Amino acid sequence: MNDIGEFALLLALATALYGVVSYVMAFRSNRVDVYMSADKTPIIVWGCVMVSSVALWKAFLVNDFSLQYVWAYSNIDLDFFYKFSSFWGGQKGSLLFWTLILTTYMMVVHVQNRKQNVRLVPIALAVMMVITLFFLVLLNFSTNPFERLPVPPEDGRGLNPLLQNYWMVIHPPTLYLGYVGFTVPFAFATAALLTKNLDDGWIRLTRKWTLVSWFFLCMGNLFGAQWAYVELGWGGYWAWDPVENAAFMPLIVATAYLHSVMIQEKKDMMKVWNMSLVLLTFVMTIFGTFITRSGLIQSVHTFDEATLGYYFLGFLGVIIAFSISMILLRLPLLKSKNELDSFLSREASFLLNNLVLLGIAFSTFWGTIFPIVSEAFRGVKITVGPPFYNQVNVPIGMVLLALIGIGPVIAWRRSSWSNLKKNFTKPVLAAVIGAAVLFPFVPLTDKSEIFTYITFILCIFVMSSMLIEFRKGTGARMEAHGESPVSALSGMVWKNKSRYGGYIVHLGVVLIFAGIAGSQSYSTDVEKQLNIGDRFQLRGYDFTYEKLLVKEQNSTKTRVIAQLGIERDGKRVWTGLPEKEFYKGQNQPVTEVDLISTLKEDVYMILADFNPDNSSATIKVYVKPMVKWMWLGGWVIAFGTMIAVWPDRLEARRRTERLKRQEQIFMPAQE
Amino acid sequence: MTGANFLQLILVVLILVAVGIPLFSRIPPKRLFKPLDPAEEEYKHLLVRKEEVLLAIKELEFDFKTDKISQPDFEALHHKLEEEAVGLLEKIDALEKQLKKKKKTAGAA
Repeated sequence: MNDIGEFALLLALATALYGVVSYVMAFRSNRVDVYMSADKTPIIVWGCVMVSSVALWKAFLVNDFSLQYVWAYSNIDLDFFYKFSSFWGGQKGSLLFWTLILTTYMMVVHVQNRKQNVRLVPIALAVMMVITLFFLVLLNFSTNPFERLPVPPEDGRGLNPLLQNYWMVIHPPTLYLGYVGFTVPFAFATAALLTKNLDDGWIRLTRKWTLVSWFFLCMGNLFGAQWAYVELGWGGYWAWDPVENAAFMPLIVATAYLHSVMIQEKKDMMKVWNMSLVLLTFVMTIFGTFITRSGLIQSVHTFDEATLGYYFLGFLGVIIAFSISMILLRLPLLKSKNELDSFLSREASFLLNNLVLLGIAFSTFWGTIFPIVSEAFRGVKITVGPPFYNQVNVPIGMVLLALIGIGPVIAWRRSSWSNLKKNFTKPVLAAVIGAAVLFPFVPLTDKSEIFTYITFILCIFVMSSMLIEFRKGTGARMEAHGESPVSALSGMVWKNKSRYGGYIVHLGVVLIFAGIAGSQSYSTDVEKQLNIGDRFQLRGYDFTYEKLLVKEQNSTKTRVIAQLGIERDGKRVWTGLPEKEFYKGQNQPVTEVDLISTLKEDVYMILADFNPDNSSATIKVYVKPMVKWMWLGGWVIAFGTMIAVWPDRLEARRRTERLKRQEQIFMPAQE
Repeated sequence: MTGANFLQLILVVLILVAVGIPLFSRIPPKRLFKPLDPAEEEYKHLLVRKEEVLLAIKELEFDFKTDKISQPDFEALHHKLEEEAVGLLEKIDALEKQLKKKKKTAGAA
């Protein structure tokens, strides 16, 4: 099976190469026979990559340690669940996984557009094929997952214990679905530039791809934060680590694009800007991969064998040079015919939102590359830590939060001061009341706490502005159609899925902002060295260190567990079991935290150290308010996105009309 | 020849057949698409713009109902959008006639 898997990768490479040439030839020579031949390649390439992937999965499941990759990331005792996810545990497999998702997306694009959009699709597929080709070259000639060991060992080295967590099964695929998804808008944007089809056709074709990719990237970031929170055992979920930043930046640029593209759809303007944002989003996804695989920057998330820096740097250089030169070349065709009606309009607020988002993306980018820049120019690697990002991004983020509340209240095209006053009165009043109510309860002793207080006030402002939007829309519909409140609300959301789905997504973002602010500023912690029976208190919780347990599990690991009795108001509410796990063949123990998680706060317990001789233990406990709000925000975002991407009959009709009017495919040659 | 080699050979043959059939079978010579006609392109563009303007009118009315826009601004913008829609419809009509005429001439030729 390994031979077949390896050979299938070679076949995929050859077919992808043929696909690029034949799609371009079909387009240039305008020949159906060549197009029909080219059109077989997306399925063949996908099939070959799938065969390779199945071969690798099989090697993991049957413990085939003749493969260096399987030996390095698995062992006989590894759970089935983690054998499955070991596939993407290292660099080689993760690149194959990336290629599998990319070719799957390519096949879906191919199936979606069979015999339609023929002026754009062949070139878009050729672009996707070129990107696939790059990954296949790496897989075949530089980082082959089917590399054999001369003498197959009896057992493998095992998967990094930090990756043996269910979030690590979910987080990378989700993130990759987002990362790779942005290839589709990039391919269509490039095809539009190359073929000079620069109307908004490519935007409409890729709108849902962009939204779904954005959603996966967003959830991927949140899942990654949850993994860091429960697995790394430092009490946090986000450390502005370079690899975290690498996943964060495309999300931010794509968010800017999702907003500004609405202006192009509505007013046929900002074509250069939107084109640049789509290209930049894709560049950021490749930059993220470069960071993870270059070995230039150290992070807990980088791969052990990070050796592909030059390949990715070269690829990145080609994409950037190509994108800039194509935009410059097509500049006359990208000029807008329309202008903003007024600076007091939703379009203007979206422009401001774009600037703010790009500000966040740029500061994050600068902080990420600064160690490389400082080393190149001064010979000293200066690491940029959380204080820099917090100092720059927190104030910009607060402006962004305010804009989330302001945007929906302003009318498209033009608004007036009197209307703004009328529409902002209630949300501002709610914010003022909220500020007054919160004032006695929140500490305001330092800058961070003041920022948190302002963030809460802004959250109240945005929430009330959104809820008033829903109420007003429902009211208008009740008046117009004589409906009940429930049917008016559901009808309104159903008829304007993208608008109200978007508003729900914004509510999720507000919950995330609130969660971040609360958990960052009002966290308390204590570290105690305890003997059996010792007690301590933290924020109303009474902790008693009861015993130290040692458990052998599956001969793979030894678990050392500290048992804590937790009481509140004299009642036992939980038995805390933070632990350290010692994996066979691994030098460092892994910390497994225990957690009481409620909407109000998380009680986060870590076994920092222990002495088996006298059963003493060092316990660290954090009480972190509102962490759960962030995870809840993620689910609200998922719900909002589901509404926004739900098939819309009106939009489908408009697209069908549009396609009907497009030239028929396969015109007889004599016509 | 081992079983794996045989399977590899089969895979290669299958792929060659799949991509080769359209090239070597006798498909009647057809074009993938017509050459770009600027008038037709403009026509398509105007149809999309028309839909967008009609949608913008609907949204404007909704914004007015929800108190986001003042009466004078609403009237001015409504008038502007209506004029834009009428202008687009006139251009679409003219182009439609032009394109029909062109098709007839091409058909007769």
